[in-house]
Amino acid sequence: MTLWDPLWLIILTPLLGSAVCGVLHALSLRARRSGGAEPGRLAPLVACGAIGVSLLVSIVGFAKLWGADASARVIESSTWRWIDAGAFPIDLSLWFDPLASVMCLVITFIGLLIHVYSVGYMKGDPGFAKFFAYLNLFVAAMLVLVLSRNLVGLFVGWEGVGLCSYLLIGFWYEKGWPAKAGQKAFVMNRIGDACFLIGSFLLVDLFASLDMQAIVAGASANPDVGGKLTLAALLLFGGACGKSAQFPLFTWLPDAMAGPTPVSALIHAATMVTAGIYLLVRLNPVFAASPEVLFVVGGVGALTALIGASTALMQRDIKGVLAYSTVSQLGYMFLALGSGAFGAAVFHLVTHACFKGLLFLGAGSVIHGMHEEQDMTRMGGLRKHMPRTFLAMVIGAAALSGLPGLSGYFSKDEILAHTFANGGFHYAFWAVGLVSAALTAFYSWRLISLTFFGEERFDVDAVHPHESPPVMTVPLMVLAVLAVTAGVLGLPPVLHVAHGLSTWLAPVTEPGRAILAAHGEHHLSHTAEWILLGLGAGIALLFAHRGFHTYTSGAGADDAAAERRPQLARFLQDAWTLDSSYARLIVAPVKLGAFLLSTVVDQFVIDGAVNGAATTTRQVAGRVRTWTDGSVKSYALWMTAGSAALFCLWVWS
Amino acid sequence: MNVPSEHLLVVATILFSMGVLGFLIRRNLIVVLASVELMLNAANLSFLAGSRMHSTVGNVNLDGPVFAMFVILVAAAEAAVGLALVIALFRLKQSVGAEDTCELRG
Amino acid sequence: MAELLFYVLSAGAIACAAGVIASRSPLRSVLSLLGSFVCLAGIYLLAGFHFLAAAQLLVYAGAIMVLFLFVVMLLNLDRVAAEDERPGSALGARRLGVAFVASSVLVLTGLFSIGWDSASHADPALAGMQLDDLTSIAALLFSRYMLPFEAASLLLLGTMIAVVVLAKRDRGPDRAGAVERDPYTLAPRDVGENLDPGGPEVVVLEDEPEEVHIV
Repeated sequence: MTLWDPLWLIILTPLLGSAVCGVLHALSLRARRSGGAEPGRLAPLVACGAIGVSLLVSIVGFAKLWGADASARVIESSTWRWIDAGAFPIDLSLWFDPLASVMCLVITFIGLLIHVYSVGYMKGDPGFAKFFAYLNLFVAAMLVLVLSRNLVGLFVGWEGVGLCSYLLIGFWYEKGWPAKAGQKAFVMNRIGDACFLIGSFLLVDLFASLDMQAIVAGASANPDVGGKLTLAALLLFGGACGKSAQFPLFTWLPDAMAGPTPVSALIHAATMVTAGIYLLVRLNPVFAASPEVLFVVGGVGALTALIGASTALMQRDIKGVLAYSTVSQLGYMFLALGSGAFGAAVFHLVTHACFKGLLFLGAGSVIHGMHEEQDMTRMGGLRKHMPRTFLAMVIGAAALSGLPGLSGYFSKDEILAHTFANGGFHYAFWAVGLVSAALTAFYSWRLISLTFFGEERFDVDAVHPHESPPVMTVPLMVLAVLAVTAGVLGLPPVLHVAHGLSTWLAPVTEPGRAILAAHGEHHLSHTAEWILLGLGAGIALLFAHRGFHTYTSGAGADDAAAERRPQLARFLQDAWTLDSSYARLIVAPVKLGAFLLSTVVDQFVIDGAVNGAATTTRQVAGRVRTWTDGSVKSYALWMTAGSAALFCLWVWS
Repeated sequence: MNVPSEHLLVVATILFSMGVLGFLIRRNLIVVLASVELMLNAANLSFLAGSRMHSTVGNVNLDGPVFAMFVILVAAAEAAVGLALVIALFRLKQSVGAEDTCELRG
Repeated sequence: MAELLFYVLSAGAIACAAGVIASRSPLRSVLSLLGSFVCLAGIYLLAGFHFLAAAQLLVYAGAIMVLFLFVVMLLNLDRVAAEDERPGSALGARRLGVAFVASSVLVLTGLFSIGWDSASHADPALAGMQLDDLTSIAALLFSRYMLPFEAASLLLLGTMIAVVVLAKRDRGPDRAGAVERDPYTLAPRDVGENLDPGGPEVVVLEDEPEEVHIV
C-alpha cells in the first residue's frame, strides 16, 4: 500500500478548471453586454490543460502500478475525514488499482480528445466557456466515481455525473425540448439512484462498512449470506440499469441526443453510461455470490442488446442510430457481466469507448459540415465532401460491426464466447447476442451507406457541406487508430497470447472469479472457440455487406419494409413501444394525480381549511361579540352564574 | 343563647339567596346595591356561625369576627364607590335604571 | 328566652330582606335594609359577638345606610315611574334567581337533615358570654391579620379619592378661553350648562320589578 497524494490532482485539477471556466463565462457575459474582449476564448485552454494534467497523473500512476509487484498493485491517497459520525465516520480517500487505472486512462484520454474537438464544434456558441466548465465538472465527477474507495464517494460521483448529464443535455435549453430531455434523463437516473441507495444500505448493514474493499473482502470470505446479499446485488444492478441505460430504464438515452454531440460522445458513449459496469466489476464478489442476480443481469443485458439493435435499424436521425447502438452495446457489457466475464466487460467498455466515441464525433463532424442537418435521408454522397470524416466513420463502423481484426471484433467475440461457455440457459442469451450482432453490422453499414454513399439527396449548392477543421478531425484520427489497435488488449486464448486486460485486472476480478469457479468451471474447447470466432466474423461480414448494399440508393428499402409490415416498423421504431407505454402508464397518471392534488386538494381542502378557519373564527367572534351588549343586568347574571359554577367546582372536586 | 349554629347558617342562606334574587331581578341600581349589602351581611352571619362552631370555652375562635370586620369595612368602601358611580350615572342619564347604561355595547 | 328572641329577630331580618327586594319604592327598599341590619345586629349580640354588633350598628346602620339615604334623597329617586311593565330582564335572570332559591332550599333541607335539635356544633357553655372581647380581637388584628389591616387602610384611602373624583360636579372650564368638554364624548359644550337636575322639571323614573315573588 503506497501512499501517493498526487492522486488527488486527478480530481482537483478538473474541478478547479471547471470553476475557472465558470468565472470566465460570467466575465464573458458581462463583456458581451458592454462590448470588448471575449474572455471566454481562454476557457478551452484552461479546460484542456486541466484534463491534460489529470491524464499525466493517471499515466504516472499507471506506470507506478506497472512497475509494482502484481500482488501489491495499489496506490492510495491520504484519507480526509468528511463526516465524523461517531462509530460510523465517512472518509474520502482515493484507491488506484488496476481497474481504476484503466477507467482513469479511458476517461482522461478520451475526455481530452473530446475537449479538443469541442473547441471546433462549439465555436461561436454564446455559452462557450460554460460548456467547458460543465465538461470539466463532469470529468471531475466521473473521476471521483471511479477513484473513490468507499460507497459514499462513489455515490457523490454518481450523482455528480447525473447532474452534469442533466446540465449538458439541456445545454441549449432555449430550444425547449433539450430541457425536457434533461429532466427525463435526471428522473430516470433518480429511479436507479433510489435502488442504488437501498442496495448500498443493505451492503453496509451486511458488512458494517462503507469501504468497498472491506465489502469485497467480506463478500469473498463468506459468499453464502443468503437473501440479503442477493437483494442488495439486485438493487445495485437496478441502479446500474438507470445509469447505464438498460431495460427498462433506457428511454432517456435517445432523448439525450438533444445535447451537443461532444456531450453525446463523452457522456453517453464513453464514460457516464459505463459507471454501471464499473460498479458491478468493482463489487464483483457481491454479484458472484448471487447466481440468480447474475442470471438477471445477463438476461437484461441480452434483451437490451436486442431492443437497441432492432430499434437502431429504423432510425432516420444519425445520432439516433448511434444512441440506440450505445444502448445495445451496453447490453453486451451486462451480458458479459452476467456470464461472469468481468474482464471481458471491461474490455468491451474500453473498445466501445474508442469506436463509439469515434462514431459520435464523426457524426458531429457530419452534422457540423451539413449545417445542423441530422436526418440521414437528406444526406448522401458525403464521402466526396468530407473525406477525412468519411474515413474515420468507416473505421468506426467496421469496429462496431465486429469486422475481423478490429477491436470490436475481439471484445464482442469474447463476450459471446464466455456466454456460450456457461451453457444451459445461457445458450439462449448467446443466440440473442448473435442476432443482435447481426443487426449491429446491418445498421452500422446502413448508416455509412446512407450518409456517405449514393447520390446527394440534398441541394449541394444551397447546403455547401464542408470538411471540419483540423481541431475536429485530429481527435477523429487518434480515435480511429485506437479503434483499430485496441484489440491487442484482449486477444483470444486460442491465439496463445495472454489476454492483456484480463491479466491486468486479475487482482480485482479474482474474488468474483473464485466464487464462480466454486460453482463449476466453464471451459470452451479450442475447436468450439475457433468455430465461434469464425461464426462471428462470418455473420459480421455477411450482414455488413447486406446492410451496405441495401441502402446505397437511399432509404427506399426502409419505406418498402414499412409498407409491408407497418406495425412491425412502428414497433421497432418506437423502441418496442416503451416510450409511449411509459407516457401512457406512468407519466399520464402522475400528471393526473398532480393536477388533482394541485386543484382539488390544494384549493379546496387545504385552502378551504385555512380560509375556513379564518371564516369560522370571524363568525364565532361575531356571535361572541354580541355578549358584550353593555347591559349591566346580563353582566350581573353571568357573574353570578360563573361564581356559582366555580363554587360548585370547589365544593365537589 | 343555646341556638344550634346550623340555624344561624340557615338564616344566612335565606338572606343570601334573597340578596342574589334581588341582585339579578331588580332594575333600580340603588336596590341592586342594597341587595349586595344584604348578601354581604349574610356572609358575615355565616362567618360568625362558623366561628361559633369551632369555639370551646377555653379556646375561643376569633377568626369569624375579624373576618366579619373586614367584610364590613370593604362593604363600606364598595357602597361608597358604588353610590358615587350612581351619582355620576344619574348626572349623565337622568335615571338609575340598569338598562339605561348600555353605552359600551360591542 | 334568648332563643325565642333569636327566632323573632331572624324572622324580622328575613321579612326586611323581602322588603328590600320587593319594594317598588327605592326609599322603602333602603329603609327595609336598615331594618334588616338592626335585626342582624341583635342576632350578633345574642350569639355573643358584642363588639361586632356594635360595629354593625355603627358602620352599617349608621354610615352606609345614611349614605344610601343621602343619595336617594339627593337624586330624588323616590318618584315612582309610570305603570308600564317593561318586560324581559336579562335572559334567564328570573330562572337563575329561582335556581338560587331552589338551591338554598336544598341546603336548608340538608341542614335540617342533620337534626333540628342537634346542638353538637356549638359549645353550650358559650351561651351568654362575650366571645369577641376587644383585647383578643386587637391582638389578632395586630399579629395574624396585620397585612389585611394595613391593606384595608390603603383601600379606604383609595376609596376616598375615587369617590371624590367620581362624584365631583363639573364646574366649567379651568382656564379662561379653554373649551369645556363633555367628559364622556369629549364634544365641546357651552359653559354653564350643568347636568345636575334641579327640582321638579326633571326625571321620569322607571323602576319596575318585572315580577315580585316574595320568597
